[in-house]
Amino acid sequence: MDPITATHYIGLSAILFAIGAVGVGIKRNPIVIFMCIELMLNAANLALVAMGKHLGSISGQMMAIFVMAVAAAEVAIGLGIIVSIFRSRETIDIDEVNLLKL
Amino acid sequence: MSTLAVMGAFLALTVLTLFPAIMVISTRNVLHAGFWLLPCLIGVAGLYAMLDAHFFVVAQVLVYIGAILVLILFSLMLTRDVMNPKAPQHNGLVGVAVPICATMSAICALLLARHPWPAGPVAAAGAQDQTVALGRALIGTYALPFEAASVLLLAALVGAIVLAKAPQSEPPAAERIECPGGEK
Repeated sequence: MDPITATHYIGLSAILFAIGAVGVGIKRNPIVIFMCIELMLNAANLALVAMGKHLGSISGQMMAIFVMAVAAAEVAIGLGIIVSIFRSRETIDIDEVNLLKL
Repeated sequence: MSTLAVMGAFLALTVLTLFPAIMVISTRNVLHAGFWLLPCLIGVAGLYAMLDAHFFVVAQVLVYIGAILVLILFSLMLTRDVMNPKAPQHNGLVGVAVPICATMSAICALLLARHPWPAGPVAAAGAQDQTVALGRALIGTYALPFEAASVLLLAALVGAIVLAKAPQSEPPAAERIECPGGEK
């Protein structure tokens, strides 16, 4: 009998997600915010794979594949946007990138 | 593997995942944060290995460590004035974000402690069977979403190239070279 059940994985995933959420909340550098988003996506993937194994279904892993694909797309676009903002404004501090603010 | 070994491996991987994650959000140097992400992702890959999801171990190393992390480090180097460790890295919201997320985490932990999932009703398939089933599902049931994901990736890559390309309306090459460095 496996001593590590789905509960353990879900708990770990929740903690990892919370750490990522804290990072998104407190950081000023958008690249670090990206790293924290990656942490959150990893937590979600871990939960999906763990539940997929727990339920004996392949759907969990399949969803995790799509999460991974979307994460790759998101990071490519996001970093392109950041480099482009840096070119035009010389800073990427999200407190100073405020053209859309009234 | 014996029960104790499994528990020890899980504990070690938990530490390997969570400690670097905390360092990512607490270190002041942006580049160090990028490098701290590496052990965290490796820890998650190890957890996938414990879950018998061997495809995901490979995908995690290839996609997250090989591609995404390198891309993040590259863009850190392209925007190098923000790597200054003296620049403020936190906004003033630490006192708000940490309690909210700690509360969320505590609620999750409480729920999990009260209602743990029972041991799986289904006998877990072996690692090889899981990978075979995943491959079959990718070309069978999930073929269409899989193709849609590949189109999404292609569109994202083309979009990223268009975004990061220097604007063509600024012909002087000298000016363009000067601009990304930000060393005026």
